[in-house]
Amino acid sequence: MNSFRFARAALRARPTMMRQPLQRRGYAEAVSDKIKLTLALPHQSIYKSLDVVQVNIPAESGEMGVLANHVPSIEQLKPGLVEIIEESGGSKQFFLSGGFAIVQPNSQLSINAVEGFPLEEFSSEAVRSQIAEAQKIAGGSGSEQDIAEAKIELEVLESLQAALK
Amino acid sequence: MAFAWKAAGLTYNRYLAVAARVVRRSLKEEQRIGVERRGEMDLKFAKWQNGKQGDNKNLADANTSAMAEHAGQQTAQ
Repeated sequence: MNSFRFARAALRARPTMMRQPLQRRGYAEAVSDKIKLTLALPHQSIYKSLDVVQVNIPAESGEMGVLANHVPSIEQLKPGLVEIIEESGGSKQFFLSGGFAIVQPNSQLSINAVEGFPLEEFSSEAVRSQIAEAQKIAGGSGSEQDIAEAKIELEVLESLQAALK
Repeated sequence: MAFAWKAAGLTYNRYLAVAARVVRRSLKEEQRIGVERRGEMDLKFAKWQNGKQGDNKNLADANTSAMAEHAGQQTAQ
């Protein structure tokens, strides 16, 4: 009998406990749904803390899209295409040679790379001729380092060729 | 993550340099001209021993031979 009364008291207590976090929700609406993007190369910064909607990056652990309030993380980038969806709704594509993307806790994203150019500045003809050249070196009888470098070049060029299609 | 270039003794720095070089070379002619010089590096160094300066050595050549020396070591770890 005593335990029954206790259970009823607990039932009555719960609704007030659940109401409290609901009231706090109003705060989230004040937070911006944009992410501040900084895209920097050693010689130039392409984006300088600009509000964008979404950034798709080719991380070594897989392709990922970064929106506002993303979990903080550090990702090594593969040579590949970075797609930026801007506030106006348009999107821009840059091919980066590889680097790091750092998602910071306060909706900031910093991308560092050695080289990065808009996709339209690449020549598919130059890519094709370099693939042939790199394949020759990779399959040749050069030093272990030369072959490894040719394989890196092939990785970059194949990614670039896929992006240009 | 295992990278094939690591087994050949290449450093991450070298990996980035090679990737950046090939990206620059893939540009259209008009963009490429001003940009290709960014990849050039011509540093020299000398080791000082017992108060005397040693031979001047090219850093790129020294790096290449160091990479060849370290080939295969990373995978053993």
